[in-house]
Amino acid sequence: MNEAVNTSPAAPLFDDERLANLGIRWLIPAETAIFEGSFSLLHCQVQGDTLYRGVFAVLLFPVSHPNHLISLRYQDAKDKEQEIGVIRDLSQFQPDAQKLVRDNLRKHYYELTITRVFSVRHEFNLLFFDVETKTAGRREFVMPWRSDRTEDYGQNGKVLLDALDNRYLIPDVTALPANDRRVFTRFIYW
Amino acid sequence: MSADLLLHRIPEAVRTAAEAAGFRDGELLFSVRSDLDLQGGGAEVWTIVSPTLIASFVVSGESAGAVIGPHAFAQVEKVRARQKVGSSFLTLRIDGLYIEIARYSNTRREYFGRVAIFLQRRIEGKTLPDSYLEKPSELICPVCRLPLPGRGAGCPRCLRGRGIFVRTLGLMRAYWMSIIALLAMMLAGVGLDLIPPLLTRTLVDRVIQPRTHLDWLPIILLGLVGASAGRALLNIFIGRTSSIIGTRITRDLRERLQKKLLSLAVDYYNRNSVGSLMSRVLYDVDYFQSFVQQVAQGFLLNLMLVFGIGAMLFYMNWQLALLVLLPIPFVVIGTTFFWRNIYPRHYRVWDSQSKTAQLLSGLLSGIRLVKAFGQEQREEQRFSNAASYLQRSRRNLETSVATFNPIMGFIFGLGGLIIWWAGGKRVMEPNGITLGTLMAFFGYMGMFYGPVSALSMFSNWVTGFLSGGQRVFEVLDAQVGVTDRIEPARLPAPRGRIEFRNVTFGYDPYSPVLNNVSLTIEPGQFIGIVGKSGSGKTTLVNLLCRFYDVQEGQVLLDGVDVREIAQEDVHRSVGLVLQEPFLFRATIAENIAYGRPDASPEAIIAAARAANAHVFISRRPAGYDTRLGESGAGLSGGERQRISIARALLCDPRVLILDEATSSVDTESEQEIQRALARACKGRTTIAIAHRLSTLKNSDHIYVVDDGKITESGSHEALMELNGTYAKLVRIQTELTRLEV
Ligand SMILES: Nc1ncnc2c1ncn2[C@@H]1O[C@H](COP(=O)(O)OP(=O)(O)O)[C@@H](O)[C@H]1O
Ligand SMILES: [Mg+2]
Repeated sequence: MNEAVNTSPAAPLFDDERLANLGIRWLIPAETAIFEGSFSLLHCQVQGDTLYRGVFAVLLFPVSHPNHLISLRYQDAKDKEQEIGVIRDLSQFQPDAQKLVRDNLRKHYYELTITRVFSVRHEFNLLFFDVETKTAGRREFVMPWRSDRTEDYGQNGKVLLDALDNRYLIPDVTALPANDRRVFTRFIYW
Repeated sequence: MSADLLLHRIPEAVRTAAEAAGFRDGELLFSVRSDLDLQGGGAEVWTIVSPTLIASFVVSGESAGAVIGPHAFAQVEKVRARQKVGSSFLTLRIDGLYIEIARYSNTRREYFGRVAIFLQRRIEGKTLPDSYLEKPSELICPVCRLPLPGRGAGCPRCLRGRGIFVRTLGLMRAYWMSIIALLAMMLAGVGLDLIPPLLTRTLVDRVIQPRTHLDWLPIILLGLVGASAGRALLNIFIGRTSSIIGTRITRDLRERLQKKLLSLAVDYYNRNSVGSLMSRVLYDVDYFQSFVQQVAQGFLLNLMLVFGIGAMLFYMNWQLALLVLLPIPFVVIGTTFFWRNIYPRHYRVWDSQSKTAQLLSGLLSGIRLVKAFGQEQREEQRFSNAASYLQRSRRNLETSVATFNPIMGFIFGLGGLIIWWAGGKRVMEPNGITLGTLMAFFGYMGMFYGPVSALSMFSNWVTGFLSGGQRVFEVLDAQVGVTDRIEPARLPAPRGRIEFRNVTFGYDPYSPVLNNVSLTIEPGQFIGIVGKSGSGKTTLVNLLCRFYDVQEGQVLLDGVDVREIAQEDVHRSVGLVLQEPFLFRATIAENIAYGRPDASPEAIIAAARAANAHVFISRRPAGYDTRLGESGAGLSGGERQRISIARALLCDPRVLILDEATSSVDTESEQEIQRALARACKGRTTIAIAHRLSTLKNSDHIYVVDDGKITESGSHEALMELNGTYAKLVRIQTELTRLEV
């Protein structure tokens, strides 16, 4: 046979690391200053770039990587949303910068986390939920009984959208107490 | 709502703080309450607006007492409601920066949206009346606060909404004669069921035991044969009738579902997966057949049997009858408990079926992608997971049923033993019962427990039926979204004048994609639309074709609002060619003639010629009769596009829209198609959306769309002169073409 031919596999043209450096600006602590400026808005200064005011943070993988891959954005003069860059790992930043970004993220996302499901009542094709939430105590809300009012959240989680689009998160349905789970899956079984 | 909005008045809760900040009762526009502080904690917050100032005051919650602002209106450049995930902010632009003044959950989004528009208009110098702020909610019933099934729809509680059962009975109304016949047959059947044990009693007591009346034997036997033959006959008729009714109803429902699915706006399909819709039409409808069966052979029959047999038992001997009732609590409790646990398993079977169907339909329609990326193994794995989920959920269900039935059988057997014991003693006692009565008792008992346990399952069967019925009615009740007026304007042959008048639209009404767009297209003009992808070009087309309705402003065809025109007329006069042509599994000719199945072969050829498709079609061995595979397999992308152009041309629409329709053909064929189109399009209003600007050079007018607004418009020359976005794009593309050459 033809033994002169080199049969070892060709080296990959680019690995993930090189791919990552093609086109995304990664914000690293050494080059990025994050601080609070006028009107207590988040400001961001990247080395060799202008100062961005009124910056806000968005999670790129809110479900699978809630502490990583955070995009910093701003609104340009024409009201268009633009990206400054992406933070890979927030924990590498100074504690005060971390806190600013985390506080900012809390402004972007609002959902109540459900810890208990006391009852679900069905009437008029609506589900009347009575639940315990982590931060807002016991709550009642009404949700149309339709499959498009829930979103999957990771492997076993569900986000419920009530009739007015408020978001209620159950991070892991299988982690609910057995009876709550039964009450819940009686109606939300998909 | 009144408590959340105060006109011209400071709420008492924040009076001191507000007055300290410079607000006075008489000089106020309004105060509005929100439910969150800026950090997202639950709180009572009042935003107070005067003609000169705006500020928010936190009444309760963690940041109680905090004041946001005040800001002077003179500095405010813009007011915007900004939707985030799950909540929103009311923001003011001051000095080019957006400053948050209040945060609110989605519950209050509707009226804060109005507040933002009210204030923005004020800044622009237009004053909206107070009544604009006080408009009742379109999302919640003003009387009972129940969420409405759709924007501005009727309230199910206040309109005495009919339950799924009543509606299902309504479906059966058309068959009321057959249903009455069914009920009569059931009654007769129950009567027949009660006869044999009575005959057995006579047989034992009068013939066998005393060994007399031997001549009665054949008569009684004949009676027994007659009763069971009659019963069999009735069963045949009952079964046939209920199956006729059941299959008719399910067929009706399937057709209604399909019709409904066709009428639903495009938007619905963005929200619901094809797999789950399919499993509704295919499987869930079967619940309605089981409903008819329940009525015919289930619930009512069992109820009559229980009462009929119970009455006979008590009539024969009430003490023994009481003993028969002894196991009943166990039966009822056992069955109820069992079904409470089993029904969720039914749900899971449904879920696994629907997931498997979804997976399979996704896999099969994307089969080429799977192969191209060599992902067969992973798909096998995914399917195997779904299949084993299906297997597990079925096994789970069936093993529990398999455990339950023998246990119940055992309990029934115990009931029999009690009667043997008590009844046996009675027979021996001097003034007890006859042997025949005991035999009759056994006869009735054998028929008694079955219906009792069936009845205890009934409530759970109801739950299952309700969820299946719910999934079907969910589709039937879906808001069509885009509907015709009761008496729509007819516009059978419009001239093709198009106008967008201050159109604002967003797929999500709270974040507009098009902002205040106005444009006019005269009949017969050739219009080019250019813009980056995602800028809103296709959205313009969607509105013109009325796949969606505008939120503000108007889209007019020949001066008539498209919402006033019968949809049929709009769709007939607007021909649409999409970037992703969809071809059915049929011949090329059938695909071209899709909009006009009666078209003559000559017309089909003419349309194909005009679309520059004739040559490649006629080169095929089967010519226009060539059968295409799934979604046009066997043709190249450009060929598919040309066929879809021919399809649009054949309908001879007044308005022809080409949405990036020539993007996957090479430059040369594109020019050929353009030339052909120019011929075919004479007198037609044509709107061409294209990336390759050279194709638009000869347009009468070009619009440049950027971020939902029209930023430039004019002829090619005028726009080149203007030296803006368009000119820049043209220069870049000319560079690229030079590189290609
Ligand atoms: N069905 C939809 N649901 C929600 N958003 C959509 C939908 N279709 C398009 N969009 C959004 O609307 C914007 C305009 O899209 P489109 O009109 O398709 O742009 P294009 O100019 O490329 O044709 C995009 O930001 C897109 O993400
Ligand atoms: Mg498009």
